[in-house]
Amino acid sequence: MNSSYCNYYESSSLFHGSLLNIMGTRFDILIVIENKTMGEVLWNKIQSELIRLNKLLNRFDIESEVSQINSNAYSSPFIISPEMWEILLSCRKYHKQTKGLFDITLKDYNKVLLNDENRSVSFVEKDFHIDFGGYAKGYATEKIKDILMENNIENSFINFGNSSIYGLGRHPYGNCWSIGIENPYKKGEMLGEYKLKDDGMSTSGNMPANPKHIVNPFTGDYNEEKKLVSIVTKNAIDAEVVSTSLMIAQKEEKEEIVKNFNLSEILIYKL
Amino acid sequence: MATSNKNDQVDLGLRQFIKNLGYIAGGSVLLGSIPWLESCTPEKLKEIKNQKARIALIGTGSRGVYHICNLLKVPHAEIVALCDNYPPNLKTASELCPKAKTYTDYKKMLESKDIDGVIICTPLNWHAPMVLDSLAAGKHTFCEKAMALTMDECKAIYNAYQKTNKVLYFGMQRLFDEKYIKAIQMIHSGLIGDVVGMRCHWFRNSDWRRPVPSPELERKINWRLYKESSAGLMTELAAHQLEVSNWALRRIPDSVIGMGDIVFWKDGREVNDSISLTYHYKNNVKTTYETLISNKFNGMGEQVLGHKGTMELAKGEYYFEDVEPAPAILQLINQVESKAFSTVPIAGPSWVPELATQHKPHYVVEGKISINPGVDMTGVDKDGSDILISAFCQAAITGEKAKNIVEECYCSTMLCLMGNQAVSEQKKINFPENYKIPYLNF
Repeated sequence: MNSSYCNYYESSSLFHGSLLNIMGTRFDILIVIENKTMGEVLWNKIQSELIRLNKLLNRFDIESEVSQINSNAYSSPFIISPEMWEILLSCRKYHKQTKGLFDITLKDYNKVLLNDENRSVSFVEKDFHIDFGGYAKGYATEKIKDILMENNIENSFINFGNSSIYGLGRHPYGNCWSIGIENPYKKGEMLGEYKLKDDGMSTSGNMPANPKHIVNPFTGDYNEEKKLVSIVTKNAIDAEVVSTSLMIAQKEEKEEIVKNFNLSEILIYKL
Repeated sequence: MATSNKNDQVDLGLRQFIKNLGYIAGGSVLLGSIPWLESCTPEKLKEIKNQKARIALIGTGSRGVYHICNLLKVPHAEIVALCDNYPPNLKTASELCPKAKTYTDYKKMLESKDIDGVIICTPLNWHAPMVLDSLAAGKHTFCEKAMALTMDECKAIYNAYQKTNKVLYFGMQRLFDEKYIKAIQMIHSGLIGDVVGMRCHWFRNSDWRRPVPSPELERKINWRLYKESSAGLMTELAAHQLEVSNWALRRIPDSVIGMGDIVFWKDGREVNDSISLTYHYKNNVKTTYETLISNKFNGMGEQVLGHKGTMELAKGEYYFEDVEPAPAILQLINQVESKAFSTVPIAGPSWVPELATQHKPHYVVEGKISINPGVDMTGVDKDGSDILISAFCQAAITGEKAKNIVEECYCSTMLCLMGNQAVSEQKKINFPENYKIPYLNF
């Protein structure tokens, strides 16, 4: 169940919406908006969108489209929605741009066949599945950004479980949203900071509560390094794809990957 | 005003206290919800550098000595006179400040030209005559809470304050307690949603007596227990908590119902040892007030109930009803609310849901805070009393009145007396029209 919370801070014209248990994490948004009612209307739109995307992209939800693909695409080609088609194509592009390190199958995305004629997907091998873990939050952030733009919101702060952040416009009392990166192994220690102004920041890494969760698709091994990668760029999906890839990239791969994107900042911390 | 070259430091306690509230020089907006602090900003404190308020105390019992101990740490204060008509207490106080002149007649003391401010810590029945005499003598005046023993006396003090140009403070230390101020600001900013109810209580397990050296001194020493000198637990304990209730709600109740009895301490006392009341506000929010001094399990507390969360004022903790906002997001919100901008340590690897996060406390003030367990009869450390007394001494130099303190004390004392009236008359008591003052909403 998604539990939701919202509050409007009258004196600052600040709306806060929070949604728990969405895509395996929590979602928080701050919106600078004239009044409470407008904030609530917008928050309803955002929540519906997040719940819709969860139904599309969350493989742990058995009713989601990705779950349907995972249980059916090996036996026969599975016809997918236009949106899923676009997503799978975009993941193919990212797979190439990252030298195969960004891989939604966590094994070999080349073994997923996309048939343009009937817009179907099929797995060449058994025991294949698609996991949007390193993609969905960035994708959702872009969608929320669209909603904010359509509603003429100029200043907002989006936080998808701390790992995908987007600072639209600026803080009410600053010229940007100033974000610090905390050392997950040492509470209170700030590793660095970055000023977001219409920028997305994605952070990948391990932490004590979750020491290994990023897989190298070529070796099948989990990355266990005490390392943190933060990427800042305009596009939230790019940020998420690159930060995950750089967690497992070798030095030469890293340089080649970085060339393929327009990144504002690459922050890598060995902890 | 006496001046001294020896001590060129300003009061760090008071200055730090205001800074902790997020005060920035010239940032009067920040003090918007705490207007009584406008008269004691760090800049104003600098202006009185090297000056000392000449302070006199009337009443040198336990509370008086407590204030003396705080006063001795205030760089801009000097205790010049002490007055008490009970020799052992006067002697104790005099040993603490041997330079101070001693008096047994407060009227005589008030004639002295060498006094800037008077601090009154006497039994409740003496508050009104002493405050009125002190103001009439042209002294800046601080009086312990509650305001006075009767409604008429309260009104007389309020009226005198409207006419005087002297400073008048009352011992409402929660108004100077960082954890209360921050918590109330959070409540007013909507952190716990709409305030829908309030529960205040003060429980102790003791007879509320002081040892009496000889029987004829019983009424003098145990003045709290007799109606001629005391309005009982309401004015001694509830006055603080009802003030906080009004502060949180930004309203004054329109009526009260309740009961009170002597349930356990049947020792000849006249005031009740158990009182349960319900105060009603015009917006239908109710504050329940309970006090009992023969069971201490529940201690002392003030709970503000919001439709999105609960604030435990005395503990400086709050709880959310449903989803707990992420700490970093809260930090960012609090920052915006206090019109500040700085880096928020929010980025990191993906947040993983925690299990069993139901009703986890959040803290109003970071780090160690002082919590009053409500047991001590005299006063506890760092409950705002030291800051309050320092602010009064500053005002005794500058002559600048502090906004709202008199009004807050007037309203809460009126509510205490209405509570006692509801108990004794066994009926609902409305806030009497002719005692309403132009302050907040009724």
